[in-house]
Amino acid sequence: MNSQIFHPFVLPFVLGMAFVLTYCFVGLFKVILQLPKDDRRQFLRSLVTPKTAWANIRDLFGDCLFHVKIWKRNPLLGYMHSAIAFGWFMIIVIGHVMLFTLKPLEGVEVEGFARTFTNFYYPIFFKYFAEETPVFAFLMDFFLLMIISGILIAVAKKIHSKIVGVKRVTKFGFADNMIRFALWTIFPFRLIAEKTNIMAFWWLYSFDLLIFMFMLPFTRYMHIPTEALFILMRHAGLNAREPRKGYALAQLYSCPSCGLCIDACPMSVNDKMSGNTSAYFMKKLRNKDSEEAKRIAETCLMCGKCVMICPVSIESCDIKFSQRAAVPYEIHSDHSYLDVISTEAERSGEISSTKPKTLYFAGCMTQLTPKIMRAMQQIMESAGEEYDFLDKDGGICCGRPMLLSGKVAEAQAMIAKNTELIKKSGATKLVLSCPICYKVFKDEYHLEGVEIQHHTQYINELVKNGKLKVKKADVNYVYHDPCELGRAYGVYDEPREAIENVGNLLKAKSEKELSICCGGSLGSFNLTQKERDEITSNSVADLMFNNPDEIVTACPLCLKTFARKSPVPVKDIAELFVVHQA
Amino acid sequence: MKENILIIGGGAAGMEAATQLQKMGLTPIIVEKSENLGGHIAQWDRLFPAFHPAKDVVDQMLSQVKDIKTYLNTEVADIQKDNDGFHAVLSNNEKIDAKAVILATGFDIFKAERKQEYGYGIYNNVMTSVELEKFFRTGKDERINNPKKIGFVHCVGARDVKVCNTYCSKVCCTTALKQACEIKEVFPDAEVYTFYMDLRMFGPGYEDLYLKTQKDFDVKCVRGRVCEVSENMDGKLVIKAEDTLFGKPLKMTLDVLILMCAMEKNKSIDTIQQKLGIADNSDGFMQNKDMYLGMNGTAQDGVFVAGACTAPKSLPDTIGEARSVATQVFNYINNK
Ligand SMILES: Cc1cc2nc3c(=O)[nH]c(=O)nc-3n(C[C@H](O)[C@H](O)[C@H](O)COP(=O)(O)OP(=O)(O)OC[C@H]3O[C@@H](n4cnc5c(N)ncnc54)[C@H](O)[C@@H]3O)c2cc1C
Ligand code: SF4
Ligand code: SF4
Ligand code: SF4
Ligand code: SF4
Repeated sequence: MNSQIFHPFVLPFVLGMAFVLTYCFVGLFKVILQLPKDDRRQFLRSLVTPKTAWANIRDLFGDCLFHVKIWKRNPLLGYMHSAIAFGWFMIIVIGHVMLFTLKPLEGVEVEGFARTFTNFYYPIFFKYFAEETPVFAFLMDFFLLMIISGILIAVAKKIHSKIVGVKRVTKFGFADNMIRFALWTIFPFRLIAEKTNIMAFWWLYSFDLLIFMFMLPFTRYMHIPTEALFILMRHAGLNAREPRKGYALAQLYSCPSCGLCIDACPMSVNDKMSGNTSAYFMKKLRNKDSEEAKRIAETCLMCGKCVMICPVSIESCDIKFSQRAAVPYEIHSDHSYLDVISTEAERSGEISSTKPKTLYFAGCMTQLTPKIMRAMQQIMESAGEEYDFLDKDGGICCGRPMLLSGKVAEAQAMIAKNTELIKKSGATKLVLSCPICYKVFKDEYHLEGVEIQHHTQYINELVKNGKLKVKKADVNYVYHDPCELGRAYGVYDEPREAIENVGNLLKAKSEKELSICCGGSLGSFNLTQKERDEITSNSVADLMFNNPDEIVTACPLCLKTFARKSPVPVKDIAELFVVHQA
Repeated sequence: MKENILIIGGGAAGMEAATQLQKMGLTPIIVEKSENLGGHIAQWDRLFPAFHPAKDVVDQMLSQVKDIKTYLNTEVADIQKDNDGFHAVLSNNEKIDAKAVILATGFDIFKAERKQEYGYGIYNNVMTSVELEKFFRTGKDERINNPKKIGFVHCVGARDVKVCNTYCSKVCCTTALKQACEIKEVFPDAEVYTFYMDLRMFGPGYEDLYLKTQKDFDVKCVRGRVCEVSENMDGKLVIKAEDTLFGKPLKMTLDVLILMCAMEKNKSIDTIQQKLGIADNSDGFMQNKDMYLGMNGTAQDGVFVAGACTAPKSLPDTIGEARSVATQVFNYINNK
């Protein structure tokens, strides 16, 4: 034990800590001030609402310290993260507990500011200044070794990422590599310093801390402090509104560039395209590389898989939308036609509001795949449904493409007209064949009293309640989950349940949440046809995993996209229920 | 000295090359997959631009090859090359040795079902240009019932990234106008429309055909791509297109719609082609040595190409290539 209370080697640490604390507090205020007024109120209120407050506590521990989500995906990576985070957290806590229970400063003449100053660094260098009790000493060593075990995995991952089951890792620049090196060496230095008390190692330990904390704001490690704020904001139910402000900014800094979304992304079929994944988008936007960020935001298929698997729950697609909305694309649209459009029933003057009616909206994509429209019509006829087409001779777009390009006002004009037509028809159910439309009708329309169903759900219901009679055939099907139906709405079971009535359902290699985008997504503005084809082939191979006789989709766009690359017939689910009618 | 030359494909290209090679004193052998020689032109009624009966041309060519050894209903199952030349095994297990090989396997027609928005195979009255030729030859087709309004859609399966074919199929513009006149001859009272992106009237007399189509036959040529087709209650077809000259969307009801399907590479030769080490070009057709002086050559010494197997071609193009390939093969054999 050294009976001093101060040694100059604490100074680098103190400097670093002071810097990082100042930076974080300024940043915190900046982010909160950048929130639009309503959002800010909503955020502050959420902090004192018991339900969100509880969720906050649960996730602050679960996500920041124990990394529960990574454990679920990849236990080894989960251990690596929680060993470092939780271990570090514990040695800081124990350091402070020792300071306040063992009271090593009792009787030492330090008062006022000097006292605070001492308390600031004392727990970090405790062993140098004071004696630990055996129990504390054991705990400290235990957690220190825990951290080091985590670091060993990190080193192994760096040398050969496949060891931890990761194919592609994010590529880093100088600063990121440097801070990582500092992080890796902090704890070994501390261990050596504590065990040998060689001064040089105390200095190295302290300098490492300085480097780490000084570089923290400029590297991906900024995610450590930011993630806590992000969790609070997420629970408050905020939405990213501007690409580099407020909630979006908090998310940018919360992404540790872990790279899990790189392997998950359908674009990662080759190295070049894997540079378009969310990990890089977040990084470029964080580093204010706005050209690249804009390019990536426009390239992404918006399939949502990265959001689904992100261990931090970063809503990267929303940030990309806000990035798109920030660019004034030249779209000159003329919506004067909206005034003259009416439904078939309206034209023939036979609207009856007494009978429950089903309204079918094919949407423009389904208009281009008339087989689906035909099949739906036959199904509704056979089931004896009272139905009408909302867009038999071509109707109004649901508004999604305009929304996708960030043109909200234009989209609203179409939404208003469609809403009017649907309300006037007196229908109680709206059936859609296009998952893209489905999403818009679900999210953006206010159709009280009208049940919105995708045709997979509708068909399943017709079979279940006996209206549609089918017979099972010995055909092996595999079902592709369209992004907008599956990940966006969790419609996984109804289509599968329905298909099992008419054939055998095989599994794809990646299913449900992990299903791979067909590559045809309208979400991307600038993927080339060749790049899309590569994505499609990869997705088809995944579906062909168990050698099905036919591929079944539930989206007109997936249908067209797969049909070009599939070795077996590709059908929409509706077609099955025409072929296999009893 | 007689040398064997193996010609795979007995269409216009294969037959003409065989005729010329025989005159040069070599021994051409034709291996044809189908049950007769003639290839696609045997399916056509009259040829543009002169409305000359295709049968005349085919018959003339057939008479020239009657002494040439020909295998019908036969394909090449395997082929190998060594210092003596090529050794092929046919699907009937016969073996053929040859000094050179000519690939003249021609093209396939784009499967119109792949462009689902045009409704082929879904709506009754949508048919292809090939089926219309058959109607002209036989006078029979259930779909053609004294139609009052007929439409032709150009570029089906061509110049369309969405079906992975970006190239122009070259002959379908002229064919469409030829067929438009012909249908007008059969149904003088019908209104006939063609929907095109550009009219590619590339050959001698073709532009005159275009003028004649409009002046003498009153066919209406609309610049704009048909985007979708549907069927109304009476079974008539409703098409949507954009008239790009007027800058206006257009909707029209038709009795019959004819799809001008593009030429695509004939894939039945792919395995043999691979064995010979010949790749496809970016349009999916066979890659020749180069587009200028080496148009009949390939990456494989001793293997030559002619006709529509390397790109969409008209009959005169094809005959020209067949004659030039004969010269190339003759030189190849004699320089050895
Ligand atoms: C609708 C339509 C109308 C046309 N009208 C005209 C016109 O009016 N005027 C004009 O100049 N041109 C016209 N053409 C173009 C003309 O048809 C072609 O230029 C011509 O057919 C090309 O001849 P080819 O011998 O290269 O190919 P093809 O005619 O395709 O002949 C290829 C032959 O090879 C055989 N074959 C294929 N694969 C194999 C194999 N693996 N083994 C053995 N044999 C094989 C085939 O059975 C076939 O007999 C038209 C084309 C189309 C699509
Ligand atoms: S977006 Fe999520 S998954 Fe992707 S790198 Fe960032 S934290 Fe990882
Ligand atoms: S939304 Fe899909 S395509 Fe876009 S980055 Fe995420 S996983 Fe990749
Ligand atoms: S989402 Fe797509 S398919 Fe549906 S109406 Fe809008 S544009 Fe058309
Ligand atoms: S020839 Fe005419 S119809 Fe044929 S692909 Fe070219 S432009 Fe289209």
